[in-house]
Amino acid sequence: MYVIKNGTLYTMSDAGVVRADLRVENGKITEIGSDLPLNGGECVDASGLAVTPGFVDAHSHIGGFPDGEEIADLNEITNPLTPELDAYYGINPDAKDFDWAIRQGITTSCLVPGSANVICGWGIVLKSAGDDRLMLHPAVMKGAMGINPKGAYSNKKMAPMTRMAIASTMKTYLRNVREYMEKKAAAGDDPSKLPPYDLGLEHGIPVLKKEIPLKVHSYMHDMMTLLEIAKEFDILITVDHAQGASDFADELSDPHVRGVIFGPTSEPLFPGEGGKLDYECCNMLDDRGVNIAVMTDGPVTVFNMLLYEMGEAVRHGMDPVRALGLTTIHPARILGIDSRVGSLEVGKDADILLWSALPTRAADAELKAVYIDGKQYLGEC
Amino acid sequence: MLLKNATVHDGLGRAAVLDILVEEGKIARVAQPGSLPGEGIDLTGKHILPGFVQPISAWGVNGTAFEIRPSSNDNDEHSDPITPELDGFYAFNGRAATAQQLGAFGLITAGVAPSDNNLFGGTLAAFHVDGVNPYKLCLRRDIAMMASVMPSLKRVYGKNQKAPMTRMWIFTQLADQLRKASEYKADADKPADAKLQALKRVVDGELPLFVAADSALAARHVWEIVSRYPCLRLVLVNGFGLTSEEDYIVEHKIPVIFRTASAVMDKAAMTLDLQAMLRFMERGVPVAFSGECSNYFGAREDMLWNGLELMRLTHDAEKVLPLLTSAPAELLGLSNVTGSIREGLQADLVVWSGNPLESWEARVVTAYQAGEAIYREGDALRCM
Repeated sequence: MYVIKNGTLYTMSDAGVVRADLRVENGKITEIGSDLPLNGGECVDASGLAVTPGFVDAHSHIGGFPDGEEIADLNEITNPLTPELDAYYGINPDAKDFDWAIRQGITTSCLVPGSANVICGWGIVLKSAGDDRLMLHPAVMKGAMGINPKGAYSNKKMAPMTRMAIASTMKTYLRNVREYMEKKAAAGDDPSKLPPYDLGLEHGIPVLKKEIPLKVHSYMHDMMTLLEIAKEFDILITVDHAQGASDFADELSDPHVRGVIFGPTSEPLFPGEGGKLDYECCNMLDDRGVNIAVMTDGPVTVFNMLLYEMGEAVRHGMDPVRALGLTTIHPARILGIDSRVGSLEVGKDADILLWSALPTRAADAELKAVYIDGKQYLGEC
Repeated sequence: MLLKNATVHDGLGRAAVLDILVEEGKIARVAQPGSLPGEGIDLTGKHILPGFVQPISAWGVNGTAFEIRPSSNDNDEHSDPITPELDGFYAFNGRAATAQQLGAFGLITAGVAPSDNNLFGGTLAAFHVDGVNPYKLCLRRDIAMMASVMPSLKRVYGKNQKAPMTRMWIFTQLADQLRKASEYKADADKPADAKLQALKRVVDGELPLFVAADSALAARHVWEIVSRYPCLRLVLVNGFGLTSEEDYIVEHKIPVIFRTASAVMDKAAMTLDLQAMLRFMERGVPVAFSGECSNYFGAREDMLWNGLELMRLTHDAEKVLPLLTSAPAELLGLSNVTGSIREGLQADLVVWSGNPLESWEARVVTAYQAGEAIYREGDALRCM
């Protein structure tokens, strides 16, 4: 048990920004208030420091691209429909990527298959360290539109080679899941009438039941195709990468959109999907009440990607405290883990970062300490 | 043009409120506020930084320069791993650089380099980033010979069953090509060997050799080989894996260009030690930052973001800014052209609303390239 004393808490809850103490017991935040007694616990002096929730990276592949191996474990580029796959089996939880994540303040990641296939498989939510790391399994069904599936299958001279075929392939899968569910329902208690068991279709059931979102690599006008599909099948989607989302801010304010996850942004303009790099979409979507987050897409991008994306969103007009939501409460809501992480509130996991200053305002803010489930993983103990 | 009352960060370690007079694209005077006649533009509360100088890049080559027929990028002649005779100048397309609107990100000068897919790639040229005609934009060409001992050689050639497939080939060829060049003499009876001619200039110290390496071991191997040639001027690129224990770097003051931005899937960047960069600085080793320089997609924010990585360790903007401006300019032989705010240099100046090394709320107000505004706050950011 310990108390983090005298910090400025950026709670990302209704409590806002408060100067207060925060008590941690058994991995949870148990009390927030002024002048909390130590009650025999230790004192962590956070005077002059900014205290924020641990970062939630809503789209990453860390642990799935092993060092020195030619073929990554998260891209099964052999069939455009691989809903039966599960990122759980592609991730090495002991990869040093997770230490790297901690050094960037990332305490929780949504780890998903790569974007080679139209339907890629299940993703999971995993903490960066600890004894009980797996938070959600399945967390999402990953999908992809645009240049990744086009590129992967044009090379093989097979469908989908075009955006037309990608839309059609995605719809066919969802239709098949729906029919499969209908047949199962019609069979009732009679096992002889059940359709043959199909793992890929089974994996789609939580999507059709709106229990998990379809998480789709989509840029620019692909977002509108995806939204049309979401409405047709009445499913939840997340719009991932989302460059060009500022062109569709009004349309994306839709109950089928669980969230928009922008980034990574360490690239120039390039033709096609990379033709627009609009940090301002973060502010525009936040204004409209859309859950907007940023991502690392790790391990493929720069160190501290989340800091840079939040910072550039601020440079493009976003309030610094609201910008902190891009890596905390917003991704937690998008992933459906906001009852446990994403804000500093009593009852939540003690996933906490200590900074020399608010990292979305001070460009040189230094990460001083990282706690996951109350245990310290970075900084002087 | 008279820029008045801004905090001027000169890129050489100093900051003060000063007025700057710009005439014919150059910094004519830098003087105490109010000491120069004329009304001028009042920039009270604003900050003026030298335009960033990215020493190694593919601006004007990659990104918007991609063509409709799938082909090689123009700085990536991967038909032969030894192409020292090529000139990076010819890879640069001014319109493609302009389309990236680099001034809006504080970047005014870019070294345009052959890719790091060849052992010897060719020579480096430096350009202003906004305009069309490469001859008008070019600040200097024939700056350095670009070389690489990166694993990308194995991927580009070895995977296709061609040499190099191994580090053994890479380093023995590095040694052997330099040896041949050192022994090369033009013979009137034979056609000239353009490759050896180009490398002879390197061995003779006429132009420096910039070598991209992915680890401390690879950098040491490079030093073992090039130190046989006393005139050869080595510059190490990337800085991956280097620690301050590399005594030869300190002893011989071998310049190192660091970058933190990692190429896709390139985990070598995880071994970067910026504490080592600081210790090199303290011991008099010339260091500078570059953005992405592996012939992949660099970000327009790379230089600033690299600087911020070091700001988190030092919290000293005047110490970090030279690494983005005057230090890379010096390594490109441009210290009397750009990269700092001194009388007589090109007016490559960026006016910011705050100090971007300290605050995320700092925005580019106006970016000047040779005294001409190439971006003003409120200009639409382009898309394709």
